[in-house]
Amino acid sequence: MTSFRRLLSAGLLSAAFLWSLPSHAGVAEGRKAFEANKCSGCHQVEGPAREKTIKDQMAKKGPELWYAGSKFKDGFLAKWLANPQPIRPFAYNSITERNRGDHPKLSQKDSSDVAAYLMGLKSREVKPLGLPAVDNPRGRIIFVKKQSCYGCHSARVRGKMAGGLTGPTFAGASERLNPDWVFAYLKNPKVFKPVKMMPVYAGILKESELKELASYVSSLN
Amino acid sequence: MFEPRRSFTAALVLGLFLSAGASGALAETAQDLYMFHCAQCHGLKGMGDGPNATKEMPVTPRDHTSALEMGKLTDGDIISAITDGGTATSKSSLMPPFGKTLSKQEIVSLKDYLRKLCNCKGR
Repeated sequence: MTSFRRLLSAGLLSAAFLWSLPSHAGVAEGRKAFEANKCSGCHQVEGPAREKTIKDQMAKKGPELWYAGSKFKDGFLAKWLANPQPIRPFAYNSITERNRGDHPKLSQKDSSDVAAYLMGLKSREVKPLGLPAVDNPRGRIIFVKKQSCYGCHSARVRGKMAGGLTGPTFAGASERLNPDWVFAYLKNPKVFKPVKMMPVYAGILKESELKELASYVSSLN
Repeated sequence: MFEPRRSFTAALVLGLFLSAGASGALAETAQDLYMFHCAQCHGLKGMGDGPNATKEMPVTPRDHTSALEMGKLTDGDIISAITDGGTATSKSSLMPPFGKTLSKQEIVSLKDYLRKLCNCKGR
């Protein structure tokens, strides 16, 4: 029995080792592919955030990715990079130009490598609280009534898209966003994006409300 | 000849540094603030026609160029609405609160900007 257990744990260990190999290789290759595809021309991969003024923010060509591993859910980036679909109805930093949906599409291999690389970029500001992604009445009331987040962020309501257009859509948020990151972003947005169009809600909503809102937003499809 | 100039420049640089530190952030112009935060709903010219003002929304954003509408508001009403959102002045929660985003000075500068857009005074 003991030797069977040993054999089993040895087997499990080697399985874990073998399983970890390709992902590590993916990280190094992903970093190379990120550079080769010129992704760093638009996306910042080194924190902390440096913007201090509106001009600094407007000079950015795309969303910062230096905390991508804390923000996105596993599996999302690999899928999205291979088949990018607009997340923002308008072009980044624009309220006049529609998102043309022309983000470069990566090969399957580059997509999974770049995703492995980006998912390794984490922010210590995002604590692993394990917030659930669930539709909850208080979060919904904040989103729809109390703060009307839908004024800028669209979502799918009973199968139909509704809401404003200048913020990222929450259609598909349940596959995209880590609720713990949404909460961290709401609680301390300046760490992630010091200058942004969206108002700061920390200090307006209580911490418990920010958690309920983060759970709700992350549950949207 | 050089020394006084140098110390003048040093004093000027120090002065700029201190004044930037006093406000807590580098000052933004009211127009830049408006384009960045307000235009998404109120439109680039303030006519209430920003891209978020879709037909499906329950209310339309205030037309900041309307002297008739804007004239009904006191300067205090405008400052309250920007600071605490629409509900602070019994209006829609679609107008968000910017009190934790902008400084008091920036909010007052936006109020002045709105008064220029409507070319009107408060009640």
